[in-house]
Amino acid sequence: MNNSYDPRVKRLTLKDANISLREGEHWNIFEVFRQDKRGARHVHVGALHAPDPVLALIFAKEQYGRRKDCFNLWVVCSADILAFNDEDSDVFANNREKNYRDASGFKVRDKIEEFRKKSGNIKK
Amino acid sequence: MYGGGYIFDEPDRRQRTEEYEHDIPEKLAEFEARIEGGEKIEPDDWMPSEYRRQLIRLIEQHANSEIIGALPEGTWITRAPGFRRKMVLIAKVQDEIGHGQLLYNAAETLGKSREAMINDLLSGKTKYSNVFNYPAETWADVTVIGFLIDAAAIINQVANSRGSYGPYCRALERICYEESFHLKQGHEAFVGLAAGTPMQRRMLQDALNRWWQPIMHFFGPPDTISAHTEKLMQWKVKMASNDDMRDHFLNDYVPKVWELGLTLPDPNLKKNGETGRWEYSDPDWDLFFKVIKGDGPCNKERLAVRSWAEEHGRWVRQALMSSKYRRHAPVA
Amino acid sequence: MKSTNHIKDLITKMADDELILGHRNSEWTGLGPILEEDIAFSSMAQDKIGHALALYEILHEQFDEKDPDHYAFLRNEKEYKCCHLVEFPIGEYDFSLMRHFLFDYAEMIRYETLANSSFEPFRLLSKKVKGELKYHTLHAEEWIKQLGNATDESHARMQQELNHCFPLAAGIFEPAKEFESQLMDEKIYPGEKKLYELWLDKIYSVVTQASLNLPDIGKVQPVFGGREGYHTEYLQLLLDEMSEVYKLDPGANW
Repeated sequence: MNNSYDPRVKRLTLKDANISLREGEHWNIFEVFRQDKRGARHVHVGALHAPDPVLALIFAKEQYGRRKDCFNLWVVCSADILAFNDEDSDVFANNREKNYRDASGFKVRDKIEEFRKKSGNIKK
Repeated sequence: MYGGGYIFDEPDRRQRTEEYEHDIPEKLAEFEARIEGGEKIEPDDWMPSEYRRQLIRLIEQHANSEIIGALPEGTWITRAPGFRRKMVLIAKVQDEIGHGQLLYNAAETLGKSREAMINDLLSGKTKYSNVFNYPAETWADVTVIGFLIDAAAIINQVANSRGSYGPYCRALERICYEESFHLKQGHEAFVGLAAGTPMQRRMLQDALNRWWQPIMHFFGPPDTISAHTEKLMQWKVKMASNDDMRDHFLNDYVPKVWELGLTLPDPNLKKNGETGRWEYSDPDWDLFFKVIKGDGPCNKERLAVRSWAEEHGRWVRQALMSSKYRRHAPVA
Repeated sequence: MKSTNHIKDLITKMADDELILGHRNSEWTGLGPILEEDIAFSSMAQDKIGHALALYEILHEQFDEKDPDHYAFLRNEKEYKCCHLVEFPIGEYDFSLMRHFLFDYAEMIRYETLANSSFEPFRLLSKKVKGELKYHTLHAEEWIKQLGNATDESHARMQQELNHCFPLAAGIFEPAKEFESQLMDEKIYPGEKKLYELWLDKIYSVVTQASLNLPDIGKVQPVFGGREGYHTEYLQLLLDEMSEVYKLDPGANW
């Protein structure tokens, strides 16, 4: 019996803290992606510890889906995520210059105006 | 729930030289420029080892504070009066555990496992917010914690959410959202007692009297005696000074206590009209350090309870351990 | 006026089960075996307390009973109609998980059948809690299956708790002596005997997949008495604790 103010704790048999956890005892790590509503994309919202994907999904439901609208969740083992290294982020560096891939790179209004001026009275 | 009153590592000289040998000047300049320019640091980025070490320390203490902070309020889970209070309190304590979960993940991205962090918590190597070493003696204590300590925590966490480390900022974004529910429910329950029967008011005043000193300790020692944190401020690990946060808190919340006709047990507490800063009696910093070192009223119990949870959950966890999945820290 | 005692009795026992088990399970909040499970288990405890509240509200609104707080926190122990299973302290996680599994399947089956009740508030509630109960049973089923099939220790623990909990869980289906036939005649619900059979079917399949053995059903003595107001020694202690603050001033606004 201890002197806790908490009746729950009073019911526990407490010892001095002396447990030492082993690496891996808190299981594997999964990433969680949340879809707020039907038709929306899944967005990465965080990670969790679980022994396997099924319990990961079950845990994700409460840790990442207990507030606000949620339609579905994905879980995927963190080790299975492949990404670029920080120092390789320059592979994306010239994206903005390659505006021939982007709608903003196409401007025909000037050409049309010039053409209209040249050709005279075309009805508007 | 709670940041506040962090004790940052004082870098010792020997370690420092070793670290700096591994830190590359050009990389460091790039790193600092990135932070200066308002960009976030991500887990796989190059970072000075001192930054990594202090961040782990910070986030880990914050996470520890959440799961230990669940205990003083949990004291009243089975006794909350009425359905609404009962459900709200369970949901709130659950959120604290959820915040701990998010924060341990953020710290894990820096390379320290959750198991190692819990081991360090239980062995006393790492700390948690000092305020949780005090007992919640009555129901009114829960309302004081839910209102004033959550309010103080929000000031700290909002500041930290503008820091430089991406995963920590993202965790704090969600935490701050949930904290706004905590603060609202805390204020409602607090006002409920303040506007209630004479007995309820007495309960509340008594709780306020007991919690005032721990609340004044919450943001940590005054800037004049705190460890040097210039570098941490430059790196956006520490986002506001202890005294500034304390002043911000007093300015926002003392009037909210006074407007209910309640008193705070410090005759010197007042706002200086000229400086615009709050003045107060010295909240006994020797006691603060004594409690941090393990000599508070509840230190032993808090760690023993957390240890109970880890020990009694062990067979469950060990039964389902599997090497089928490769382990990797959270990616972001 | 037609008597409604039979419906009130049914609602009260359902609500008391939910309240007391929700209260018990909430004791794990902050003490669970791992943070993720702590959170999930706490949510389900909140759901149970929420179901109890919804049922007490029906009593209050349709049958002029006292308001839910008053009804839940201030009755005498003998007026509670919960079964013994829900009254026991939380024990170790093996007991709490097995109780969760056996109870939540019983709860799911009960609410499923209430979708066809002649009593409209039951039909509405049945619809409302369907998704929550689906999650609860999914959670319970996965845990029982995984622990039943994991290590020798976890299998032994689960089997032992199944043996321990089964007669208590069978006590969920204690028929209401006075009211059973009337409730069935009026198609309020299908009766405890029917629910017990449906429940056995469901749990049998999960228990088998968990590599566990159900006790010999023919020899099981269900633990009855709770529905008649006879309880374990634990209920009075629980009620004293639960109402400690509320009773300081039941007229006050908490």
